[in-house]
Amino acid sequence: MELALIGVSHKTAPVEIRERLAFPSDKICAALASLLEKTHAAEAMILSTCNRVEIVARGPDADLVRDFICEYHQIPADAIAKHLYSYQNAEAIRHLFRVTSSLDSMMLGEPQILGQVKEAYRLAAEAGAIGSGLSPLLDRAFAVAKRVRSETGISQSAVSISFAAVELARKIFGDLTGKTVMIIGASKMGELAAKHLKRNGVASVLVTNRTFERAVEIAKIFEGAAIPFEHFMDHIDHADIVISSTGAPHFIITKQLAEQVIRNRKNKPVFFIDIAVPRDVDPAVNDLDNVFVYDIDDLQQVIESNLKERMKEAGRAEEIVDREVRAFYTRMQARDVAPTIVQLRDSVEKVRREEIERHRRLLRDLPPEQQQAALAAVDQVTQSLMNKILHHPISQMKEMSGDPQGAEFIETVRKIFNIKPQ
Amino acid sequence: MHAILPPMHVQLLGLALGLYSVGLLHSVLTVLRKKQTLFKPAVIATIIGFGFHAASITVRAYELRTFAVTQPHESFSLFAALAVLAFLLVYWKYKIPTIGSFAFPAIFVMTFVAMLTYNSQDSVPIPEMLRSRWVYIHAPLVILGYVALFIAFSAAVLYLIQERELKAKRVFHNRLPSLEICDDLAYRSLAIGFPLMTLGILSGALWAQQQWGAGWIGDSKILLAFLTWLIYLLLINYRLIAGWRGKKAAYMVVAGFVGVLVTFSFQSTIHP
Repeated sequence: MELALIGVSHKTAPVEIRERLAFPSDKICAALASLLEKTHAAEAMILSTCNRVEIVARGPDADLVRDFICEYHQIPADAIAKHLYSYQNAEAIRHLFRVTSSLDSMMLGEPQILGQVKEAYRLAAEAGAIGSGLSPLLDRAFAVAKRVRSETGISQSAVSISFAAVELARKIFGDLTGKTVMIIGASKMGELAAKHLKRNGVASVLVTNRTFERAVEIAKIFEGAAIPFEHFMDHIDHADIVISSTGAPHFIITKQLAEQVIRNRKNKPVFFIDIAVPRDVDPAVNDLDNVFVYDIDDLQQVIESNLKERMKEAGRAEEIVDREVRAFYTRMQARDVAPTIVQLRDSVEKVRREEIERHRRLLRDLPPEQQQAALAAVDQVTQSLMNKILHHPISQMKEMSGDPQGAEFIETVRKIFNIKPQ
Repeated sequence: MHAILPPMHVQLLGLALGLYSVGLLHSVLTVLRKKQTLFKPAVIATIIGFGFHAASITVRAYELRTFAVTQPHESFSLFAALAVLAFLLVYWKYKIPTIGSFAFPAIFVMTFVAMLTYNSQDSVPIPEMLRSRWVYIHAPLVILGYVALFIAFSAAVLYLIQERELKAKRVFHNRLPSLEICDDLAYRSLAIGFPLMTLGILSGALWAQQQWGAGWIGDSKILLAFLTWLIYLLLINYRLIAGWRGKKAAYMVVAGFVGVLVTFSFQSTIHP
C-alpha cells in the first residue's frame, strides 16, 4: 500500500498561508469526494486545525494531491510550494503518529490535537473515504498517542500560569476539595486561575475588588461571595488560597497582615498567588512558616522548567513512535499479499531446485538419455508437488487479503515459510 | 564434618531479607535515576518477604513456646516486621509510592541488623531478669509505639523536604506527597504511637518497681526514654493547644525519633 501525507503546519507556514489552506469542517465531506476523484486515491483524510492542514491518502500521486490543494483553494502552486511538506509510506506514518501524539504541536504535549485527529477521522469515515488501509493506521495512531501520554511525562506538568497555580496548590494541600479561594482584584488571569482551581474541587470562592460591582460580577461566575474591598481583611482568614492581582502601587498583603492571618488560622497553611505587577504581596511573607508566596516570575519559572521537562520526555516519546512506526510499517508491508505470494513461490522453488541439484548424483550411473528422462520426471513430480502444497495457502492468502485479520494471517504464513521482508 | 545450618527462623529471616533487598534496589535506582523504578516488583517482593518474616517469628515463638522478644535479635526482627506491616497499611491507605523510597531501605536495614545481632551462642537461654511476665506486655507496647513513631518520622522528613522545595521555589519534579498529607500522616501516627509509648514506659516502670524498688529511676536508658517521651508530650500539647503544625511540628517529630533511636541503641546495666 502506498501512503502519502501532504500539508503545512505552524512550523512551515505563517498563519496567512494556513488560513487560506484551511478546510472548514462542513466542507470537508465534499472536499474529500472531489479529492478521491481527482487524485485516484483509494482513501483519504483531511486534518484541518488552526495550526495545520494535512491530507493523508492511500495510493494517490503526491503531485495530484498538491494540484488538488491549489485548485481547491485557488492558490498558485509556487505560492505554497516552499511551505508544503510531503511524506511517503514510513515517513508519512511517522509524521501522523507524531502529530497525533502531540510531538509536533506548538505546545508540546497539548491534549487537543488527539481529539482533532479523531474528529477528522470521523468526518472522513462519514464521507466514505476510509477503508482497510487508513482505518488500521488511524487506530494505531490513537493507540500510540495514548501510549505516549501514559508512558511519558510529556503532558504531565503545567505549562500555563493558571495550571501552574493549581499544580502548586496541590503540592501544598493535596486534595483541593472543600478549600476556599479568595480573589483580590479583577483580572483575566486571576479569574482563569480561580476557574481551574474550582474545577479541581475548590468549594467556595470569595471575590473582592475596589469596584464592588465588578466583584459581584465575578462572584456570580463562580457562584461565590462578593466582599467589599474595605472588609476583605475580615474574610481573608477563611481563604486557603489567595489570588491577588490588583493595580495597587504598594503591597496589599504585608508581613504584618500575613502574620495575623496565619495566627488566626491556627497555622493552617495558606498559599498566596501574586500575579500583580507591581506586586501585591510582600515577598518577606514567604519567610513565615506555613505561608507560601508565588509571584508571577516564580510561576513563570515553574512553567519554564516544566517545559524543559516536557522536552526531555519528548525524547522518550520519539523512541516509542520510532518503534511503533517500524512495527506498523512491517505489518503494512506484510498486508500486501501479492509480493508475499511471489516471495513464497520463489523461496519454495529455490528449495526445489537446490534439492534436485543435490540429488543429481544419484542418477549418474544411468546412461545419458535415461538420465535425461529421469530428471524430467523428477522435475515434473516436484513441480506438481510444490503446486499442490502451495495451492491452499496461496488461495487462502488471496481470500484473507481484504479481511481485517488478513495482516496477521499473512504474517503467520511468512513466519511459517520463513519469508523475510524485502 | 558438615556445616551447621542456622536454625529455621534465621533462614526464614534471611529469605525475607533477600526479598526486602528488591525494595532497597528500588529506592537506590529511584534516587539515582530520579524516576520511579521497579516500584511494583518492590511492593510484591516486600509482601512475600513479609510472609517469610512472619513465618520466622512464628517458628521462633513455637520453638520457645513463647513470644520471642527477649533477645536483641528478636526485638529487631519484630520491629522490622511491624514496620513492614505499617508501611503496607500506609501505602494501601494513602497510595504514596514516595514513602517507599524511605521505608524500603529502613526495613532492609532493620532486618539486616536483626540478622547481624543473631548470635547462635546465646540464643536459647533467656536472661534471668527478663524472666517475667512483664516482658510480654512491655516489649510489644514499646516496639509497636516505635513503629508508629517511625512512620511519623518518615512523614515529617518528607514534609520538610517538600516544604523546603516549595519555599525555595526551586523547580521540582518530584512526586512527594502534598504537605497536608505528610502533616496528617505524621500526626495520626503520633496519635497512635504516643499512647503506646506511654503505656510501654508505664509498664516498664511498674515492672522495674516490682523488681528493683526505686533503684531504676536513675538508669540512663530509662531517663532517655523519659526525655523522648517528654518531647512527644510537648509536641502533642502544642499541636492541640497552640495549633502547632507544619515545619516546627515536623522538626519536633524528627527530634523525638532521634531520641527514640538513641534510647533504643543505648546499652545500660539493667535494661537490655
